[in-house]
Amino acid sequence: MTTSSISEKVAERLTPYIGPFNARMWVKAVARRELGLAPEELKPAHLATLVDGLRPYLGALMGRVAADDLLLQIGREVH
Amino acid sequence: MRFRWLAVFPLLYAAVFIAIVWWLGGGEALGPFIIGQRLLVRLLAIAGCFLAVSVFARGDHLRTAWLWLGSGAVAILSRDLLRLLPLFQPANAGPGALVILSGLGILSNVALLAGVWMLARSWKMAAISLPGGRYGALAVALITAVLALAVAGPGALKGARAVAGGDWSSLILCVSAVVDILSLCLITPLLLTAVSLRGGLFSWPWGLITASQLSWLLYDAAAALAPSLTPGGFPLAEVFRGLAQNYLFVAGLAQLFAIRQVRRSAG
Repeated sequence: MTTSSISEKVAERLTPYIGPFNARMWVKAVARRELGLAPEELKPAHLATLVDGLRPYLGALMGRVAADDLLLQIGREVH
Repeated sequence: MRFRWLAVFPLLYAAVFIAIVWWLGGGEALGPFIIGQRLLVRLLAIAGCFLAVSVFARGDHLRTAWLWLGSGAVAILSRDLLRLLPLFQPANAGPGALVILSGLGILSNVALLAGVWMLARSWKMAAISLPGGRYGALAVALITAVLALAVAGPGALKGARAVAGGDWSSLILCVSAVVDILSLCLITPLLLTAVSLRGGLFSWPWGLITASQLSWLLYDAAAALAPSLTPGGFPLAEVFRGLAQNYLFVAGLAQLFAIRQVRRSAG
């Protein structure tokens, strides 16, 4: 996997639930806020921080349990 | 596909309701039929809200939102059931009965407003980007506010005047109309959240809640019509009340199905 595809892979897995527009916006916002990086600069080492940064957003939309399940899945599938 | 059927169900229900009303043709059975179906849609709305509550954990923002909506639906169903008792019927109701009925009505309105408010706030908590930018959202908000004031404003004013004149039984009408204006204004964030989430499963609960709120807007408009404008005494307001309650029911189901799908896929 190339380093630039981390954000795409995460957004791709969020898309079925929150739509493509918000999936991209969330990844971009968390990458900026938590890591000070543009989405295309994300590397596999940033995944854990990205996933943790997405947790409050997803929790607000689908509850903590579903958000944790989804983020665990993303953590498993995106390396 | 399942979600599309949820969106269609309230319309099918409305079509069946209209067909039965025409078939009954204003006969003696029409009154009991309308009361019975009103109780049915209230029960469905309660079921939808509490099914949605069941998929969230304690402390989840949306659990509280659905709990408010469900509690509001229980309060209004309780009022409808009490009204069936001789003691609470308009001809016999004493001051105590009127206070109980008004109290339940106000409680229901406030709980529904709290629930819709919490759902409407979700976009901010989830940092959802609303389409159209700030000006787009403002334009939709203005249009909704004007519509809400046009539809529920006269009722609020009439109720307020009656209360000011000492008629406390009009308090429920006044509170109800004010709550209607406020909750109809919340259509904007609900609608824009649904649009922003389009293409995703979670756009369905918000879209269906928006449809419920829009149906209440139509209900208010129909209820404000003079009887002469509803041909043959057709219960137009009941059609929209049914739509509003049934869209709340299917919104709760959509919330349940969407979260179950996340867990199933991730499990």
